[in-house]
Amino acid sequence: MDIQFDMTRPLPETQPWSKPFWEGTKQGKLLIQHCRDCNANIFYPRKVCPECWSKNMDWIMAGGKAKVYMFSTAYDMVEPKFMADLPYTLAYVNLEEGIRMMTRIVECDPTDIHIDMEVEVVFHKLNDEFYLPYFRPVKK
Amino acid sequence: MSNSNLAIIGIGEVPTRIMPERTRWDILYDVCMEAIRDSGLDKNDIEAVINVAPQAQPKLAAELSFGKLPEELGLKGCKDTCVCNAGGASTSNCIRLAEQYIASGIAKAVLIPHVTVHSTIPLEEQINFFAKAGVDMQWEYPFGTTYNILMGMMANRYMHETGAKPEHMASVVTALRSWATKDPNSFFYQKKVPTPQMVMESPLLNTPFHKRESNILGDGGSAMVVVSAQDAGRMNKPVAYKLGESVRYFSGTPVLRDFYKVAEGFSVTAREAMAEAGVTKDDISLWNIYMAYPMNHPIMAEALGVAPIGEGAKYFAEGRMSFGGDIPWSTIGDAPGRGHTGSGVSTAMYVETARQIMGKAGERQVKECRYVFQNTAGGSGFNNIATVWGKEI
Ligand SMILES: [Zn+2]
Repeated sequence: MDIQFDMTRPLPETQPWSKPFWEGTKQGKLLIQHCRDCNANIFYPRKVCPECWSKNMDWIMAGGKAKVYMFSTAYDMVEPKFMADLPYTLAYVNLEEGIRMMTRIVECDPTDIHIDMEVEVVFHKLNDEFYLPYFRPVKK
Repeated sequence: MSNSNLAIIGIGEVPTRIMPERTRWDILYDVCMEAIRDSGLDKNDIEAVINVAPQAQPKLAAELSFGKLPEELGLKGCKDTCVCNAGGASTSNCIRLAEQYIASGIAKAVLIPHVTVHSTIPLEEQINFFAKAGVDMQWEYPFGTTYNILMGMMANRYMHETGAKPEHMASVVTALRSWATKDPNSFFYQKKVPTPQMVMESPLLNTPFHKRESNILGDGGSAMVVVSAQDAGRMNKPVAYKLGESVRYFSGTPVLRDFYKVAEGFSVTAREAMAEAGVTKDDISLWNIYMAYPMNHPIMAEALGVAPIGEGAKYFAEGRMSFGGDIPWSTIGDAPGRGHTGSGVSTAMYVETARQIMGKAGERQVKECRYVFQNTAGGSGFNNIATVWGKEI
């Protein structure tokens, strides 16, 4: 069987209002959308505040510290374009700013990863335009 | 007192297999004709067709959306047709829309069919569809998500919360397959039921998820005919009445779906659906649970109060949900037992609910099956729809 798989690394499909987030990651900053009217920290970024529909929104810089909420380490059966990365660990992490995001946990042995593990952001370059926020264990 | 006014009066189904030689239309003819014949109605009594949206089959979706089915089958009395799409929750919405057609006088009898043929979809398209469906293209997909990984994360959290052991989790597959081996329409009909040990010895795909816990993509189809409860009552044959329903929306993007809120949503919808039906959990003869993956079954068992909190997986390990156990559960074995037919697994669940209530489930027949609790969910679990069905109103 001669199957041609799409091996292109997928880039985030952005919206106009999420561009500052990705500009931030390029500069090593993890930005969180913030509503000036109701004070909500918002993830993922929206066109209007999902709490109060305000357009009076801003960005705050996250401290970059988080805890693993849940995770799973992949060893097989991912898309061909991600095969070269195996094994890799995907996780939801809770940031100190009260938001939760999907990420990869890197720079450690996958078998050491556990729920509530303390992690910190590290930016992974996809290309000149996009850096993904990954997390690594906080060194004690 | 039920707010619904609907009953399933006829069902049709083909076995789920890998059978590329059968075209989608070939299967549609068979399941629709069988359901209409089973209903006791004439083909020209069918006044509307509401199709379950076929996933990853754009040509068929277009044909059905643009009205081909009533014409193919010569349904001369048909007044309208459409397609309903909410992923795995599509069939629930087809049924709701049928209720509206019936209540508003558009149609007295409505046909609800589904078909999926995976085996003729090119492999790269299949992989790509299942990698992207129900995940966010900006905030999730670029990290390398798969459905298996999302389910693995949930399972890891559940095991962390409850202390459930891997062999307990693996036993869910054993339970589901114990039903599937008795089901002529299952991919695993008459196939050996894997022990929890065999499940755990299969390759680890992503923690804590093994190859034998994943789904086989199959080809299949099913259909049902529904009418008002009053019309069904006059037919002098076993029918399945819809008695209660409740639903909660969680989130479209998996990362925004909180583990506890989902479990709470399972509980609340069950309570509300049973209250509307005027039954309690002790009245339920069969828990026909749709999770698409084995790992969430223990969470649901606990949310329903069928198993004590923290003991859902243990109940499966003890064989209580298996064929012959004391808690009849997912009698087609959910997607892991039936074979995955896209949004068709939940269609098949409704067909099984009706089959059990009608007393036509053969070896899998639940004794004195009076009330069935059934749930569905769409996408990667954006919602949970709970329904209660019964033998009489
Ligand atoms: Zn706000």
